[in-house]
Amino acid sequence: MRTTRLRFSLALLCAVIVAIASGGRFPLRAAPAEFTTYHSYEELAAALKAAVAAHPDLARLVSLGKTREGRDIWAVEIAKPSGPPVDSRPGLLIAANFEGDHVIGSELALYTIDFLLSAYATDPAVKQRLERSVVYVVPRVNADGAEQMFAPVKALRRTNATPFDADNDGRTDEDGPEDLNKDGVVTVMRVKDPKGPYMVSPEDARLMKRADPSKGESGGWALYTEGIDNDGDGFYNEDGPGGVDLNRNFMHQYPYFSPDAGRYMVSETETRALLDYVLAHRNIAAILTFGESDNLIAAGGRPAATAGLHLVDFAEAANAPARRVGMMPDFGGAGGRGFGRGGGMFMFGDEGGPAGRGAQAQAAGRGGGGVQPATTVNAADLEYFTAIGAKYRELTGLRSSGFLRAPAGAFFEYGYFQYGVPSFSTPGWGLPGGGRPAGPGGGAGPSGEAAARPPGIPAGMPAMAGMAGGPGQRGAGRGAGPGVEGSAGEGIDLRLLQWMDSEKVDGFVTWTAFKHPALGEIEIGGFKPYAAVNPPASKIADLGAAHARFVLYLTSLFPRIAIAKSEVTALGGGLYRIRADVESAGFLPTALAQGVTARSVKPVMVQLGVPPESIITGSEKTSFIPALAGSGSRQSFEWVIKGKPGSSVTLKTVSQKGGTDTATLTLQ
Amino acid sequence: MTTRIFRLIATSALLTALAVLASAAISAQGKPSAGAAPVPQPGPVRPAQDWASGPSSERTFKVRLDFNRWHDVAELQADMRTLEKAYPKFLKYRSLGKSYGGRDLALMVVNNPDTGADTTKPAMYIEANIHGNEIQGGEVCLYTIWYLMEHYGRIEAITRLVDERAFYIVPTINPDGRDYFMRGPGGNARTGHMPVDDDNDYQFDEDGPADLNGNGVIEQIRKYVPGQGTHRRSAADPRSLEPVRPGETGDYVLLGQEGVDHDGDGRVGEDGYGSYDPNRNYPADWQPNYVQGGAMDYPFQLPEAKAVNDFLIAHPNVAGLQTYHNSGGMILRSPGAEQTGEYPASDVRVYDEIGKNGERMLPFYRYLVIWSGLYTVHGGVTDWGNDTLGVLSFSNELWNGGQYFTSPDLKEQQKDPESPIAPRVANYFFNDHLEFGDQLTEWKPFTHPQYGEVEIGGAFRKTFGRVPPRFMNEELCHRNMAFTLYQADEMPRMSIGEAKVEKLADGIFRVWVDLVNDKVTPTILAKAAANNVVPPDLLTLDGKGVDVLSASWVPNKWRPAVAPMIDQKDLTRIMIRNGQPGRSTRTVQYLVKGAGSITVKYASVKGGTAQKTIALQ
Repeated sequence: MRTTRLRFSLALLCAVIVAIASGGRFPLRAAPAEFTTYHSYEELAAALKAAVAAHPDLARLVSLGKTREGRDIWAVEIAKPSGPPVDSRPGLLIAANFEGDHVIGSELALYTIDFLLSAYATDPAVKQRLERSVVYVVPRVNADGAEQMFAPVKALRRTNATPFDADNDGRTDEDGPEDLNKDGVVTVMRVKDPKGPYMVSPEDARLMKRADPSKGESGGWALYTEGIDNDGDGFYNEDGPGGVDLNRNFMHQYPYFSPDAGRYMVSETETRALLDYVLAHRNIAAILTFGESDNLIAAGGRPAATAGLHLVDFAEAANAPARRVGMMPDFGGAGGRGFGRGGGMFMFGDEGGPAGRGAQAQAAGRGGGGVQPATTVNAADLEYFTAIGAKYRELTGLRSSGFLRAPAGAFFEYGYFQYGVPSFSTPGWGLPGGGRPAGPGGGAGPSGEAAARPPGIPAGMPAMAGMAGGPGQRGAGRGAGPGVEGSAGEGIDLRLLQWMDSEKVDGFVTWTAFKHPALGEIEIGGFKPYAAVNPPASKIADLGAAHARFVLYLTSLFPRIAIAKSEVTALGGGLYRIRADVESAGFLPTALAQGVTARSVKPVMVQLGVPPESIITGSEKTSFIPALAGSGSRQSFEWVIKGKPGSSVTLKTVSQKGGTDTATLTLQ
Repeated sequence: MTTRIFRLIATSALLTALAVLASAAISAQGKPSAGAAPVPQPGPVRPAQDWASGPSSERTFKVRLDFNRWHDVAELQADMRTLEKAYPKFLKYRSLGKSYGGRDLALMVVNNPDTGADTTKPAMYIEANIHGNEIQGGEVCLYTIWYLMEHYGRIEAITRLVDERAFYIVPTINPDGRDYFMRGPGGNARTGHMPVDDDNDYQFDEDGPADLNGNGVIEQIRKYVPGQGTHRRSAADPRSLEPVRPGETGDYVLLGQEGVDHDGDGRVGEDGYGSYDPNRNYPADWQPNYVQGGAMDYPFQLPEAKAVNDFLIAHPNVAGLQTYHNSGGMILRSPGAEQTGEYPASDVRVYDEIGKNGERMLPFYRYLVIWSGLYTVHGGVTDWGNDTLGVLSFSNELWNGGQYFTSPDLKEQQKDPESPIAPRVANYFFNDHLEFGDQLTEWKPFTHPQYGEVEIGGAFRKTFGRVPPRFMNEELCHRNMAFTLYQADEMPRMSIGEAKVEKLADGIFRVWVDLVNDKVTPTILAKAAANNVVPPDLLTLDGKGVDVLSASWVPNKWRPAVAPMIDQKDLTRIMIRNGQPGRSTRTVQYLVKGAGSITVKYASVKGGTAQKTIALQ
């Protein structure tokens, strides 16, 4: 029954994609041959260079900087340079592969580059967009991390190559995984262990679940990632190569002290390079990222709930206590005789009380209040997110997602909350059956959309699984116990496995016996690395076409500022009345409400090119509109100036995200 | 001559004990000196012939620097080079990098190489002047380098400090702001010089304040409008203006800060240099610009902050941090914001002890928590030092205006509103009588391009108010240095104390070893341990053919009880993740099998390394 429904959903999904591909206004090219495989760094770089070389009039290839291992972080800037200066046009930034394992994002970005460049000559919509806007594409932010997908032995790695002492034992990257059974992939070891908390899942014998003693279930299995205990500390693979998860390294709701978040915000060359780039291109008016969070497939305009792979989370959870080994007990007596005893305490909750004399924080209320950072989409902006999300679902046919992580510290969240523009993330593909069934046909159909958010997470609130608290809370992030990052959300294990079965995707290694040098008789198996995050390469072309279409739609939304009407009236005696209307066409406003709040999007400037002292009354020489809504909204300005008859005056308006316009007026 | 010999010997000294040898060497010159004076004998007072020709007991200095004036960046760096040249063994002049404006971020490394490389010792990091106008910390830094060198070998405590610790001293981490303050008119010099478009007109820093009358001060502009103004001359001192009461009219209106409309947009002085706050650009509790004004777009966007961070990340041996600001007379610690939450009680106790003693060393200074005692600061240096780096971090706000009139008598007088030193006019009195009028500019007529006939003036100079009078600066330098050296001395210092061996059976021994941190600061702060931001201390045991059967912590070595076992796989390399508390002794108990000897070593990133070899017998 369930399988039937899944098959049905899948068929629907394919049908929608086909319908878009064939029935859109403009014919899409047949999928080129290169979109049938995933690209290694060298292959990607070659493809980018070739694309740019083939369209020198439309594309520029720039490097944002080098990764630790010396790879370029490539960006392709796509625009027809004739017309307004490229840097003053509204821009769309597409960025992919923050999480090193999310390589499908790179492919979708590459497809989009290829589409825009090759369709310019034949597709009037593409031509128009590239002549009045600009698209910046950074297809692989985490070039070092992604390269692991192409290594001889595939071990899942989301992080970059920065050495990091993940278990803080004074040794760096000393205990990574091993491919013990030589099948080319690092999977999971399951070990019969009376103390092990896991049991074989009753839903599918290939899967494991945490036994619930309150339901009379008992465990008996322990789970570890595949490998040996290289440093002899009792943990398996707790400190492998790398690194920092780049989508946890940005500033919005940065997960402080989480081991993969980096030592501090923007600690990485990749994240810094990207920020420098977007800050140097303040004309970027919208951001689309491909990654492991979603605010497009799920309706409602806010990030969807976390959905993890429990089998992997369980194996990784075995290492959580490694970061606590060596915490000295507090004897409370003479053992730690002397001053500052309690240095051993590590639970802040125990330390909350007043601590003697000295500079105590007085509750005087100084500085207690103040502005708090926004954590939910501004109500005025939510409509735009909702509308764009609906269009995304329509154009891509995607209705439910698979693996999803909490977006704490993610780039696209920075893009909205701090950079102040519409900013999106999508995994770029989906699994059927996501979300909570909301009735007959739930999961895949439109009725599944409303249920994408699990109970307990209010609308507009990002799912913060694995975080100890809200902003400012210095939680341990990746703590011990069941709250381990990633496992807090819904597990997609069964959904993924059933999809793999039905689609004949080779993504699961059947459990097979193995003799482990330390653990003895064990079994090795589980999901293949990358299989949960990336669809089979055969899907790239269809997904690419769908997303290219969405990109084209996004570029149609930019604000376009114009001086819609201007008139000069002579009042006599060298005095003139100037009236002008400034109009914002396009769908998006010149600044989102959050862009105004965050002071990150400049107001629209309206400037009359006369000496200030010649203005008798009316508006200032330089006036500002904090935000002008789209779809033809106007604001009027009026000046009375003293001027020379017959002379001309320039009126200029500049919108950071909506271009510029000027009008030359003659005083007569 | 004797002084030079004295110093030659002293600078080559390995240990403090050499100071004694040095004074012996002076005696060997055959000249009487204060140090070698015989015990005075009772008797009639003798004429002063013998002492009159002897050397003065007062020290002379190898390097003479000015601490009664302010230094621009080039002068600071020149003085640092002079010191390095005079003390090449101990001082290394380095650069952390360049400021936005291309000036060197000059660093002095103070270390005695005879006692080890600087990176092997607990180190004190001292910086100043992050706000360009808060200059006197630069002089405090310079004074600190100078004082340490001039008194090494003369004062035992200084000698020991230089031998045991390393110092990284950066007199200005905002040299662009400092030079703009020192060499330019200095208006709005708090910021650094990375350009920011303050007025949203797509031009950067195009319309800053202007020193129209060329007197080196950015002053107020006032216009004389008899009977129509909002201000009038104060009865208490006609040089100052006061707002009129409701219903009254005055003779003056104020037209803002001295400036012109450089960019022809109709506004005066609306976009000067930078306009951000460098001390909001650090990544602990960093908040975006709309929450924390001046934060810039992301942490360490500023080249100066990034250079400091790169240095400190590369120097995990730094265990203490001081960043000098002005003013107000404060010894500040984090948290900078209430929402961060108070630090663990054990960390607070350490801050409290050092801070409270600081109040005793620095009259008119109060020890305060930033958010509750001053104001909320998101993304400041001390939060980053404490939270991200695990370094005990203070920030002194140098100089308190209460120091103009210090005696209890004068404080009492100031309560009388009619007194010439009543708060409203105290600065005028001080200027007139102690600065001889030098610190106040006179109102003078000026023809302004936008405002017509106006007057400019009536301002205290930039060297008045937030910085001490020059003649009081040496005391400021010394007292603040003394506080920071006290903090440096209280950085953790690990040693191995008593070791005891008990033979349990043939070839099996129980060994007790005391691990001692005799300073106030723990080797790892509790918050740092909780967040794993400092590598664990490591207790290693090395012995040929010796097996460790068990290791335990002894709760109380005077009261026999079961010692809980240390549950770690490798007992020859025990991790102590939360370090050793301040002023504490811990006892570790090993059960070992073997013969010969064992070497027990305690290695702490911030507390130094200590080891002891123990014979198994």
